Amino acid sequence: MSFVAVLKKIFLIDLVEGLFVTFRHQHPDNLVTEQYPQERPVISDRFRGQPHLKKDANGKTLCTACGACALACPEKLIKVSSLRDPETKKKVLTEFDFDLGRCMFCGLCEEACSSNALELSPAYELALYSREGLELDRQRMEDGTPRKAYER
Amino acid sequence: MIKSFLGYLHSGVTPGEAGNLIWITIYVLLVFAGVSLGVMFMNWFERKIMAHMQVRMGPMRVGPHGLLQPIADALKLIIKEDLMPSNADKLVFWFAPVCVVMTAFCAFIVVPFGRTHTITDMNIGVVFMLGVSSLGVLGVIMAGWASNSHYSLMGSLRSGAQMVSYEVAMSMAVVSAVMMTSMVTGTGTLSMIGIVQAQMQQHIWFVFSFFPVGLIALAVFAIAMVAETNRAPFDLPEAESELVAGFMTEYSGFRWSLFFLAEYTSMMAVSSIATTLWLGGWLRPFPNLLGGRNWDLAFSLVPGLTFMALALLCFFTFTRMPRIRAMRGDTAGLGGLACLLGVLGVVMLLPGVRDRVQDIFWFTSKVAFFMYFYVWGRTTFPRYRFDQLMTIGWKVLLPISIGVVILTALIGVRQDLFALVRR
Repeated sequence: MSFVAVLKKIFLIDLVEGLFVTFRHQHPDNLVTEQYPQERPVISDRFRGQPHLKKDANGKTLCTACGACALACPEKLIKVSSLRDPETKKKVLTEFDFDLGRCMFCGLCEEACSSNALELSPAYELALYSREGLELDRQRMEDGTPRKAYER
Repeated sequence: MIKSFLGYLHSGVTPGEAGNLIWITIYVLLVFAGVSLGVMFMNWFERKIMAHMQVRMGPMRVGPHGLLQPIADALKLIIKEDLMPSNADKLVFWFAPVCVVMTAFCAFIVVPFGRTHTITDMNIGVVFMLGVSSLGVLGVIMAGWASNSHYSLMGSLRSGAQMVSYEVAMSMAVVSAVMMTSMVTGTGTLSMIGIVQAQMQQHIWFVFSFFPVGLIALAVFAIAMVAETNRAPFDLPEAESELVAGFMTEYSGFRWSLFFLAEYTSMMAVSSIATTLWLGGWLRPFPNLLGGRNWDLAFSLVPGLTFMALALLCFFTFTRMPRIRAMRGDTAGLGGLACLLGVLGVVMLLPGVRDRVQDIFWFTSKVAFFMYFYVWGRTTFPRYRFDQLMTIGWKVLLPISIGVVILTALIGVRQDLFALVRR
C-alpha cells in the first residue's frame, strides 16, 4: 500500500466522502416524488387510457360500424351493433359496448379502426366501486375526453 | 413561601444545590417534557432528513410537511393491541421497557443545560451518567430473555456484548477529557458543571486542547456512542434483515413505544455527555476570537433571532401552501405555528429572558448537531458484521483511546513541569 492509501485508510476518507454524497443529495431540487392528488402528473401524448369514440364537426359519429375493432380485440370485449339503412344501403351504428373492466389498453382496436373513430384518450382516473360502471355504452364512449393531436 | 419560591431565581445555583424541592420538581417536569418533545420532534426530523438524503419526501400528509406525524404515530401506538407471548416471563416482560425508560431518563438528572439549568450538580456527574446509561443494557437483556423468542434472545445477546465492549473505549475517551479539566486550576473534577466551568477558565473547548488529542478522543467517543445506543451502522441488535427487530420483536403497542422513547432519550443523553465534555456545554461559540461585551450582546440575541427566522420560514411556507379545501386546516395550523414561533422569538429578545435562555439554546443546538450526525451516519453507512463490530471495538477504538489517555497525561505533565520550572 502506498503512503497516500495508508493515510486515506487511517483518516477514513472513503467514509467521509460517503457522508458528503448523502449531504449533497438533501437539496430539495433533487426530489422527484409527485404529490399525486395535489399535483397532476404529466401525461405523455401517446398515453393509452379510457377509449373514446370520436364525432365529426356536425356531431355525427365517425364510426362506420365495420366491426374491425371487435375483430382485432384480443379480449373480445367490444360489441358493435348496427342496422342497415334501407335508403343508402349503408350500415348505421346503433350500439357500441366496451367492457373496460377487461381491457388491457393494448391499442389494437385503435389501430384497426379504418375511419379513425376509436382512440384511447389520456383519461386515467378510471377507478370505480363496481364492475358494472366499467361497461361503457355508446353514450359514455362519445362523452369522454378526446385526445390532443400529436405528431407521429 | 412565595418569597423563597421566587428568591431561588436570583440564587445562581441549581435547585439541587439550593435544596429547593419545589423547583426540583418543576425542573424534573420541564426536563421530562422537553426531552419527550425532543424525541417526538426527532422522530419527524429523522424521517424527513433520511428521506431527503435518499431523494424522497418523507411524511407529507399529516399536517403541513408531515409535522403532526409523530403525534399520529403515538396515538396509533397507544390504541394498538398490547400483545404478550403466551410463554413469556410476565413480570420481566413487563419490567424490561420500564427499566430501559427509567435509566434513559435518569441520566438527565445531571445534564447541565446551563449553570442554573440543571436538576442537580453531582460531584461524580460523568460517572453517574455513564453508569446509569449503561444500566439500560440490563433492560435490553431482560426484554430478550423474557420474550421467549429466538430473535429476541439473539438480539439481546448481541446487544449485551456490543454495549459492554464499547463502554470500555467510551470511558477511556471520557477519562482523557476529565484529565484535561485539571490543567489550569490544578484540581480536576467529574462534575458536569465543573467540567464546563473548567473549559470556561481555560478559554478553550476540550476538542481543541492539546490539538489533535481532544479531537481524537471526541471521535472515539462519537463512534462508541453510536454503538452504545444501538444505532446504524452498529444496529446489529435490531438488524431488520437478520433478526426482525431484535430484542423488540415480541413487543407491540405502548411497550414498544417505550423502547422507542428510551432509544432516542439515550441518544440525547450520550450526545449531551459529548457536548459537555468536548464542545463546551452551554458556552457560546468563539469566546476568544469574538470576545467583549458587544459580542456577548450579539450572541445573546441569536436564540431570539433564530426563532424569528423559523417563524419567517413558516410564514413563507404558509403563503406557498396550495389553495385547496383539503389543505385549509394545514394552512391555518402553519400560520398559527408561525405566529407562535414569532411571539417566542420576541419574548426571547427581552433582556431578562435572553440571559436565562441563551445557555439552554447553545447546549441544545450542540446536542442537535450530534443528533443530525446520528441520522447522517445512519443514511450513509451500511451495517457492520458482528465480528467487524467487535474488531472495531476491541482492536481499534480501545487502543486508540488508551493512547489518547496516555498522550493527554504526558502533555499535561509536561506543561505542568514547564510552568513549575518557569516559576
